[in-house]
Amino acid sequence: MEILEWIRLVAGGALLISGLIIFLIELYGIFHLKYVLNRMHAAAMGDTLGISFSLVGLMILSGFNFTTLKMALIVVFLWFASPVSSHLLARLEVSTNENLNKHCQVYPILENLERELKEEKEKEAGGGKK
Amino acid sequence: MSDANTLLETIHQGMYITVLIILAVMLFACLIRAVRGPRVADRIVAVNMMGTMVMVMIAVLSLYLKEGFLIDICLIYALVSFLAVIVITKVYMGVYEEKYHADEEGEKPYGNP
Repeated sequence: MEILEWIRLVAGGALLISGLIIFLIELYGIFHLKYVLNRMHAAAMGDTLGISFSLVGLMILSGFNFTTLKMALIVVFLWFASPVSSHLLARLEVSTNENLNKHCQVYPILENLERELKEEKEKEAGGGKK
Repeated sequence: MSDANTLLETIHQGMYITVLIILAVMLFACLIRAVRGPRVADRIVAVNMMGTMVMVMIAVLSLYLKEGFLIDICLIYALVSFLAVIVITKVYMGVYEEKYHADEEGEKPYGNP
């Protein structure tokens, strides 16, 4: 069937090109953002979505065979592995940076943070009731 | 029966080659961030991104050359790059603790030399 081949080409090609556009946006974010924790945010989200779109597009272009199953396995593995590496990199940055106070707000004592969050919630509930 | 005959095949090959060229240019741009980045985590983030782009390139190449076994290389590359990030992070945190906080109170695992 000729028309099915054309539909497969258009759908797979559109998904592959949109995956490429997401990689371009991620590359721009890596250069534009200021601190490494912000860049890590851009990199992790862009990587996951970009490779998912690209590989799903390639799965449609490849047809119904064993290669498609292996690509699905790659996508599932990356969905598990990418958040773990992002978490570890954030831990590395926080534990080796001497002056972290310049970039984020540091709470050395946990009770202060919990108290501030509770006060914010009560303020919002009081403002909503009025 | 040559398969570059039909219009469909030509469009496929052209699309794959365009995607490969654009991904290769983006790979070099990531390398600039890996060289320039002021902190260690900058460089590891850039290398991780390069690994992901290389994975998409291998998958596209596997469909362009019509060889099924290149997808296995892609899967193994994903595993190895994930493991590399974890090992580098753990090693650097250990080296940092030992170098800058060795004079504080704590257990020395191997005792005094």
